[in-house]
Amino acid sequence: MILSLIILYVLTLIYLSIADRFRTHTTILAVQGLLLFGIAMARLHSFHPVELSFIVVETLVFKAIVIPAILLHVINKTKINRIHSASTQFGALVMSIIALAASCTITYYMADNRTDMIFFGVALYALLSGLILIVLRKRIFAHLCGFLVIENGVFLFSMAIGVEFPLLINLAIMLDILVSILILGVFLRRLDDNMHTDDSEALTSIKD
Amino acid sequence: MLIYLLVSLLLALAPLVVRTERASNIMSALFLLVQVASIALIFYFKQVDQIMLSMFRADSMAVLFHILMTAVLGFTMLHSSSYLKLENVSTRSYKAYYTLLMLLAVAITCVYYSDNVAMTWVFLEATTICSAGIIYHREWEQSLEATWKYIFVCSTGIAMAYLGILLLSTVAEHGSLDYASLKEVIANGNPLYLKVAFLLIVVGYSCKMEIFPLYTVGVDANYAAPAPASAYISTALVNAGFVSIMRIYTLYASAGEVFAWARHVLILIGILSLAVGAMFLRRTNNYKRFMSYSTVENMGIVAIGMGIGGVALWAAVFHVVCHTLIKSSMFYQIGIMRHIYDSYSINRIGNYLNINRVGAIGFIVGTLVLLAFPPSPLFISEVMIFSEIVGVGSWWLLVAMLILMCVVIYNIWSRSLRLSYHSNQDTLHLSEVNRRLSYSAAVLLIIAIVIGLWQPEVLKNAIDTIVNLG
Repeated sequence: MILSLIILYVLTLIYLSIADRFRTHTTILAVQGLLLFGIAMARLHSFHPVELSFIVVETLVFKAIVIPAILLHVINKTKINRIHSASTQFGALVMSIIALAASCTITYYMADNRTDMIFFGVALYALLSGLILIVLRKRIFAHLCGFLVIENGVFLFSMAIGVEFPLLINLAIMLDILVSILILGVFLRRLDDNMHTDDSEALTSIKD
Repeated sequence: MLIYLLVSLLLALAPLVVRTERASNIMSALFLLVQVASIALIFYFKQVDQIMLSMFRADSMAVLFHILMTAVLGFTMLHSSSYLKLENVSTRSYKAYYTLLMLLAVAITCVYYSDNVAMTWVFLEATTICSAGIIYHREWEQSLEATWKYIFVCSTGIAMAYLGILLLSTVAEHGSLDYASLKEVIANGNPLYLKVAFLLIVVGYSCKMEIFPLYTVGVDANYAAPAPASAYISTALVNAGFVSIMRIYTLYASAGEVFAWARHVLILIGILSLAVGAMFLRRTNNYKRFMSYSTVENMGIVAIGMGIGGVALWAAVFHVVCHTLIKSSMFYQIGIMRHIYDSYSINRIGNYLNINRVGAIGFIVGTLVLLAFPPSPLFISEVMIFSEIVGVGSWWLLVAMLILMCVVIYNIWSRSLRLSYHSNQDTLHLSEVNRRLSYSAAVLLIIAIVIGLWQPEVLKNAIDTIVNLG
């Protein structure tokens, strides 16, 4: 069960690298939220109401519903549609495959007996995918998506090493991330309103 | 601590509900009073080194930096009031500015007092959110650009730091992430994990401490924010980054061979920060960015001091304390310059000595103190760092530092003198001078010079406790 969800998660990351519409990016992020919910539920050792509600809120509510809704709102308001990438889709796919191979290699050398190797590798791949999205794409909306992919990777990473923080800390972390994304969404809209741009290349007026 | 947090948050949010700017100023004064009272109560009830709310600890480092933050906050509020009035901002904008400034102060205070590696991360991320509003305060295109970059890079950087914390937490027993518990078990951790964790945390937090590699967002933030807020961001927030890295450093002191590796990383980061500072101090044409690159350079020296260890570590902490006083004073002087010239351009403005003698003298003396000329306290810290470098026989580092610092001294001194002696551009429309503000900005500088001549016993003891890695 977990393995099939993980494989699906990897496929979403590969698809993300070649997707050229922002609505597709948003859908993929929502699907990732659902997959993370499934993975977290499958890894629950015992029924604990507080832990269960936290997983539901963090993955199902925030990652699968609230954040994609914010992204869709930004897409509708700014009328951005397609990426116009710095490289070809094929180039992005090649980079993504290289990242996958690099993640497998690093995991092989890094993971110890306390770490779940598959989770570790996929989390690393998610982090690299997010970074590739930020570096290769010009549009700042794609950068926001890249940041969210990194955040999902961090969530997987916490499962890979089996760390369970106290609930208060988990809540604080979750709220921090949500507020950051909200603020990023607000400023992305302001950039579109004031500077009439969604391109990172236009953000070069501050320099020495 | 709970009462402090509740009262501070209420006072911070109060300007949003009051009607006038005057009422907003009263709330700010009360907020400042709460900070002073909380510090006084810590000493009165002998709460130093006590754990509060199970995740905060009022240790020497937290209290020392809280005192510094409160001092800078007081001057920032004073200068902000005058700055915002001259900018003719709306009442709504005025109140929002003070609210964000106070919320940022609460977040920074919580970073100082956090006794839990994850909570430090949470509050550092909270500082990003509060700072964003202050950076965007002027609502022009460049502040929008700076704000976007600041939030995006800080959030991504701090997400990386979170990864480091996750790796670090693999050593934790029973999920306990307080620094003392982690320190006891860190030696049992996987060295590779610990090294990667250190790298990720330091790189992530570098956006706050304004050191290599993520220093750029801090420079842009200081450039876009109002000058008094830049003074606050460039000192209190930078100190929050320093405290966070210092706590990780203290933790790693028990990590055996990994600690030696971590110190090498800090030396490398320090020398790269120093090089970046030296290079960009020449290139920039804006006094605020100029001062920000000076912060990068000074924090580079601090990172080198931490990397060398021993007496240099003591000097690094002392350097941060004195840098806070000097740099905030310099930013206030720059804010006053903006009132007069309506510009920060290094190539355009000049003749400051004849226009505002008090401000010009304050700026020249501040520059000399910043460049560590005696009796600057930075002279003491830098000599201590150099002597320790000689002591450990790291000659390449000494030579590299001396060359880079010569470049820094030449760039800062030659460009600062332009302001006082270079002729002014005739197209500039000069405004009235507020000498009282120039005098008030000099107060922090005078305190720094006094510390350079005589270090109070209480300060020396506090730093001794901070650098005790045992």
